[in-house]
Amino acid sequence: MKLKIIIYLILLNFNIVNAETNSIDSNNIFKNLRCLICQGQSVADSNSEFAQTIKLVVKDQIKNGKSESEIYDFLVEKYGEWIVYKPPFNKVNLLLWLLPYLAFVSGGVIIFLLFKKRFNN
Amino acid sequence: MLSNIGNTLLFLNILLGISLIYFLFQDLGNKGKLISKNIYHICLFQSTLIIICFFTLIAAFVVSDFSIITVYQNSHSLKPFFYKISGTWGNHEGSLLLWAIILTIFSYFFLLYSKSHLRDYRIYSLIVQNILILGFLFFLLFNSNPFSVILPVPQEGLGLNPILQDPALAIHPPLLYIGFVGSSIYFSAAISSLLINYDGRLFAKSIKNWVLISWSFQTLGILAGSIWAYYELGWGGFWFWDPVENASLLPWFAMTALLHSLMVLEKRNLFYFWVIILCLLTFILSVTGTFLVRSGILNSVHTFANDPSRGLYILVFLSLMIFASVILLFNKFKKSNYNLNPNSKETFILVNNWFMIFYLITVLLGTIYPIFTEVLTDYKVSVGPPFYNSVIIPIVILFLFFMSLGPQTQWIKNNSYNLNLMIKILIASILINFAIIFLFKSYSLISNFIIISALFLIIYSLRDLYNLFKKKKIDASRIVSHFAFGALVLFIGLNHNFSLEKDFNLKKGEKREFENYSVKFNNLQLEEFKNYKAVIGEFEINNSQNNLSRTLYPEIRIYQSPSTITYEASIRSGLLKDYYITMSNIDRSDYYNIKFQKKPFMIWIWISVIFISLGGFLRLFKNAKKNY
Repeated sequence: MKLKIIIYLILLNFNIVNAETNSIDSNNIFKNLRCLICQGQSVADSNSEFAQTIKLVVKDQIKNGKSESEIYDFLVEKYGEWIVYKPPFNKVNLLLWLLPYLAFVSGGVIIFLLFKKRFNN
Repeated sequence: MLSNIGNTLLFLNILLGISLIYFLFQDLGNKGKLISKNIYHICLFQSTLIIICFFTLIAAFVVSDFSIITVYQNSHSLKPFFYKISGTWGNHEGSLLLWAIILTIFSYFFLLYSKSHLRDYRIYSLIVQNILILGFLFFLLFNSNPFSVILPVPQEGLGLNPILQDPALAIHPPLLYIGFVGSSIYFSAAISSLLINYDGRLFAKSIKNWVLISWSFQTLGILAGSIWAYYELGWGGFWFWDPVENASLLPWFAMTALLHSLMVLEKRNLFYFWVIILCLLTFILSVTGTFLVRSGILNSVHTFANDPSRGLYILVFLSLMIFASVILLFNKFKKSNYNLNPNSKETFILVNNWFMIFYLITVLLGTIYPIFTEVLTDYKVSVGPPFYNSVIIPIVILFLFFMSLGPQTQWIKNNSYNLNLMIKILIASILINFAIIFLFKSYSLISNFIIISALFLIIYSLRDLYNLFKKKKIDASRIVSHFAFGALVLFIGLNHNFSLEKDFNLKKGEKREFENYSVKFNNLQLEEFKNYKAVIGEFEINNSQNNLSRTLYPEIRIYQSPSTITYEASIRSGLLKDYYITMSNIDRSDYYNIKFQKKPFMIWIWISVIFISLGGFLRLFKNAKKNY
């Protein structure tokens, strides 16, 4: 019974989430872009001319109906991967994306083995 | 003159350090039970001298003695008195001197407060600690001497970077350094414990208060840096996953893991080598943090403080430390039998360590990965907030559930779980989350899970607190920290989802409306201050929903020394939300670029962190009361 209630509530949450309209938030995109001429600032936070230009470019692309990932691809092609704060999943960044999960899984395995050893004893 | 005094004191300290190590080795051969009085005297003398040395540097800053390079580069005679003093540790040389002072004082305190422990253990710890002190003193004297002189003597100093002239940043380094350097004590103690095969339980007892001190101060230090970033850097965020921020977080993860597993070592005499590894790791990460910040190897907002040759020295120092630790660990490692029940407090603490190490590896990897790709493949990547958020946040959800259940389990073997209660609390959390969505606004699936799990931890902790009051026990330290952590995650989640950001251009007299807010640019004026000029805007914010009106005054400051322009945010903090405005000029135009932000629950994020560290201090006081 209780399990049913929980499942029902979670489903309800899902429904609400799905009902949300999927408009692109330009501010969110600005935050994920590095201002190339600044010291460790995102495009959203910078007052530089470069940041202003990028903002215009992104807004333009949204107007043209481009999706979020298309916009990132476009900018990466133009300025290199340095501009996006989320490194794309490719050969060079393979370790970056996989190692944390690998560490997580092996941590779990180590703890599991500790117990197994105990039962064998 | 002050330069000569300072240099002499530094040199005397090196001599004292060497003689102390010599006397300590001599004392090892003695038969007595007590450490000889001489050693106490030398330690006290050493601490006094280094404190005088630090005051000499402060004096040089206060009287603006520009014959000293450090003062010349980082101070200015017109600077306010308070920032002249805080300027002492606002620069590389001064902050390293602060490192050395805390190292020395802590070494003396360790000697004073470890009297119940084995003599050889204390002596070896002091020897290692003094080798560390010497390492830093040599670095100070030969590479980053705060007392170097400049000729001819300049008339005026270059001034401290204006963004560093700030109260939060004045206390940030000392707090953080107490955390960083506090970990040196358990580094030394761990090495000493390995050398003499000290008993695990006693080792845990001797360092647990040091772990609590460093952990609590580290937490506060990170908070001060974060508050500073919030109002000074002008982007309205409080955590950017900047390499330098990460550098302070890495030792924190290791300390938190240590804080927990140390309990197992003390209560059950398990995980001895794991605890030793964490002790060594914490201090190594602290030095790594200093290396990353000071060498300028990373592109960051903090690169006002770098020089490659310094990096090289710290790198050598670091490598020696790691090398020595690893060799010693391999020599002394003994296989031990872990008699663990999967359903016990020990297991939950292991789980805590498992997650902490995962966070640590993720953040460490993200911080240093760009260096490797650049060196190895000549390929520049940026690892920023989206990476950390997408890797860490899903795992945090699981972590919060474990964090709720763990403290309730018993040592050795847990009897039963109150499944009924768990389900009730889970339903309550889901309902509250549902109410938030229903009343205000919907958010993404992952945010749902984060808020549900945070609420779960909060309610669970509140229930623990209630039980505690019923039993009339007074040890609430753990509950305070866990509850506050739940609150922190909850408020960050709400803040993230309910923030409002608007970026637009306005001219004086114009007005912009959006949602139920209007922002009116009322006035603009130029004012002259002691060490800067400021263009101050006056903005009126109206909330049509509850007819609330607020006036904010963001500034553009023009500093003369050094000549810099800074954009000062104007913030109205409230219990429910902060209003945040920054303005910047647009070239060849009357328009100003305005960034308006509504940030809900900001103040509660700070308060949560204060309570997290408060838990540490409460436990510390309790321990202190028990021992004396």
